[in-house]
Amino acid sequence: MTDALYVGIDLGTTNSAAAVFDGDRVESVRNSQGTALTPSLVRVDGSGRVTIGHRARRFLALDPTSVRGEFKRLMGTREQLDFPAAGLHRRPEELAAELLRSLRHDIETQIGVAPRCAVISVPALFELPQVAATREAATLAGFEVVELIQEPVASALASGWRADDSSGHWMVYDLGGGTFDVSLLETQGGFLNVVAHGGDNFLGGRDLDWAIVDWVLARMEAEHGVTLSREEPGDAPAIRRLKSAVEDVKIELSAAADASLLLPGFLPSGHLELTVTRADLERLCAPLIDRTVEICQRLLAEHRLRPADIERLVLVGGPTAMPLLRERVAARLGVPLQRELDPMTAVAHGAALYAASAGLDARPRAANDARGPAAKLWLRHPAVSADLKPHVVGKVTGAAQQGKGVPETIRLRRKDGRWESAWTDLNHEAGFIIGVELEPRRPNVFEVLARDPDGAPVPVQPDQLTIVQGMSLSDPPLSRRIGVALASDKVQVYFDRGEPLPARRTFRHHTVETVAAGSDDCLLKIPIVQGEFERAHLCRLVGTLEIRGRELKGTVPAGAPVELTLELDRGGNLSARALLPDIDQVFEEIAHLLVPEASHASLTASFSATERRLQAMRTRAFRGRLGEVIEQLDALVDTYKAVERDIAAAAGGDADAGLKARRTLLELDAQLERLEGQVEWPELKEEARWKLAWSSHWLEKYGNDHENRLFEEAAAGADRAEREQDAVELERQISMAYDLGFNAFLRDPEAWPALFENAAAEADRAHDLPRAHALVDEGRAAVRAGDRRKLERVVRKLWTLLPAEARQRQRAFQSGLR
Amino acid sequence: MEPPHIARITQNPFHVLGLRPGCSRAELERAGQTLLDMLAVDMRDAREYMTPLGPRARTAELVRHAMAELREPTRRVVHELWASRDQAAAAPRQPRTSPLSDDDAERDGWHGGFRALGWRTP
Repeated sequence: MTDALYVGIDLGTTNSAAAVFDGDRVESVRNSQGTALTPSLVRVDGSGRVTIGHRARRFLALDPTSVRGEFKRLMGTREQLDFPAAGLHRRPEELAAELLRSLRHDIETQIGVAPRCAVISVPALFELPQVAATREAATLAGFEVVELIQEPVASALASGWRADDSSGHWMVYDLGGGTFDVSLLETQGGFLNVVAHGGDNFLGGRDLDWAIVDWVLARMEAEHGVTLSREEPGDAPAIRRLKSAVEDVKIELSAAADASLLLPGFLPSGHLELTVTRADLERLCAPLIDRTVEICQRLLAEHRLRPADIERLVLVGGPTAMPLLRERVAARLGVPLQRELDPMTAVAHGAALYAASAGLDARPRAANDARGPAAKLWLRHPAVSADLKPHVVGKVTGAAQQGKGVPETIRLRRKDGRWESAWTDLNHEAGFIIGVELEPRRPNVFEVLARDPDGAPVPVQPDQLTIVQGMSLSDPPLSRRIGVALASDKVQVYFDRGEPLPARRTFRHHTVETVAAGSDDCLLKIPIVQGEFERAHLCRLVGTLEIRGRELKGTVPAGAPVELTLELDRGGNLSARALLPDIDQVFEEIAHLLVPEASHASLTASFSATERRLQAMRTRAFRGRLGEVIEQLDALVDTYKAVERDIAAAAGGDADAGLKARRTLLELDAQLERLEGQVEWPELKEEARWKLAWSSHWLEKYGNDHENRLFEEAAAGADRAEREQDAVELERQISMAYDLGFNAFLRDPEAWPALFENAAAEADRAHDLPRAHALVDEGRAAVRAGDRRKLERVVRKLWTLLPAEARQRQRAFQSGLR
Repeated sequence: MEPPHIARITQNPFHVLGLRPGCSRAELERAGQTLLDMLAVDMRDAREYMTPLGPRARTAELVRHAMAELREPTRRVVHELWASRDQAAAAPRQPRTSPLSDDDAERDGWHGGFRALGWRTP
């Protein structure tokens, strides 16, 4: 046990939990009801009084309109949740803040101090607006410093932080109330690596509940002639009550073969009473469980792993307590389950462990500094380390007394008395680096000793430090790629998936068209997108930096440079900074950081467009006799019908269903794009072969050994992608090979003159005609003079003036950059 | 801001972390963590690192990015190739203290440097 305390919180869709780690043991925090789980429910009564958790749950049957849950799924949207009795509206972040405030109070009751900082878990596939909303909720709840951790990473830490130094792959299957995450992890010598994530932000235990609710509604209609509809706003309170009862039945069926669903006074004729068997539950839940298994299998296939390569499968989240789910997932995946972990509290435990890794001591500052006069040290070291011999770095920042009590040498001594460092002289900056030795899998406390030039002891503060030896994760990795949409509909990747946070990256772009100073109509849009697709329109727009003409000090011509810096802090908070060097002006405000709205009109329009696209694809596939594509199109029909149902539920007031429909429509769009790739497969193959031959020719002539080796790897990758008929991968490998070939081609003496002639032929389409023509003249002079270096500069400038295709630009969120 | 083909050399993770290409995972983690801690307490020794094109400023972002690059086996192979090449080319005995401009580069045998690293120039 150490002095520090670390707090982790699992902010769940259905239930939330908190845990505290003291450097030795992790303990769940009990709420006022004495349980480790707090239902994620908030009640606001007629007088505006707020109640949380179990107390709020009691009012679900009596006063359903004053109780709200599942707000986590709406985080980062514009949605407001109504409390009609109080006449109030609350944003999802505000309700999450109420819940966090209550958990913070429970923690205070258990450890005696209100925690100053904490680590809060979020689903791995949460997007930036949802991450920002979670941070806002934590700040509203009174936390000063908050870091976020992805739920599966937290589960993995909880599951393995004291495991032996085994190396291998794990899979964490995390089915929460509203989200499903699956993560592939790898341990190597005590270091935890997140290899990849998959999942669905809109698939969770809640969907299992809805499947049962729909079945009960159908039975009610058949047996009692009573119709209730999720599409009807007036039926919402009754349906909420039914859903709560269904949740209880589902839990009961974990232990029993059948359970009764009893709702007094629910029907006009009296009570609703139904018997639900485990077989009913299995039949209703199987399709959803199978969907999660398919996501796991896809993730394994993407990383060329077989189930036999996975050492253990960790199941996390409330719904995974269902025996039926555990059996089905283990059987269909064929991976052994790790059973000793509590699926309900693992995430909170992992978050608390991560708080230690991040050095986030939850105690108030004053308590940390309450020591007598002493020389002040600034110490840095890992709080949790997989390394058995980490370094402690320090610097003396202030002496106790002028001239006296100035440390000259430092020693670290482990408190068990079995190890101590040599006396180490401070360097010219009054700093030191000392390697320490740790006892494995336990907290190691070290005393910090100091001596002055005469060898007399000097009191220092802090006078001890603790390093816990165990599995560590130094930086939280980014779960989705973040980049900027370009006018060509391509994405300039700034941060790749797995990038450790915090991170900052700068790229130089060029404007596509002129932005006139002082004009209200002129706008330079810089769309920031999140997602794994190469084409911008398939990724999610998560923020836009907008630069208006009226804000500019001078006109920015087409082709002007824009130095854009994106920065993500440890919690995934995004900031952007655009520098326009020509006018020396900086813009920093991101205009839009919300999950895009899912209005009924926009959903219906998107749905119709997808329907038309689906039909057009089917016609093309029939004409081309592409049986496999037709089969895959047929497989999309279920998804398509689910979107139709969600749009109807959204019309009935279920905002979450609307968001889910929007997401599924985007995914359908991406799948159609992939299928289009298959329809165009023969042309793509032909193009790939041509590009490989072309690149090989130039690399043979001008490439060096490294380039040729990389080319061979790309060619082998393309070959594999062709065998596997993976259009996206083939495009990626060919693009890499082509880049290498193009670089080699540029070394040919005739390359730049040829590129110049091509660009000059397009010059009449340039945004800035006078400048383009001047460059053409300059280029001609360079050709005559044989000045290839100058010619290269001219061609590169000309390229920046040529227009992007209007349609591509529109699809790329009207990006003004190339 | 350095152009990407220059940054590929100067920001090679092995140079940023001051490690040799064959280093173990534990060495990588220890070196990265120590550099981050040294930067956090503002130690002068950590603020610069040496590259074949002279010293460069080291930042916590660069260190984190370098660690992430070397944790990923396929990306590490590419960096190892480049770093081995850089080391074979040997760092200049008297490295520059200011960044090179295009004009300096032409005058001072910039292309010679590239040839030493395996590039051919037009």
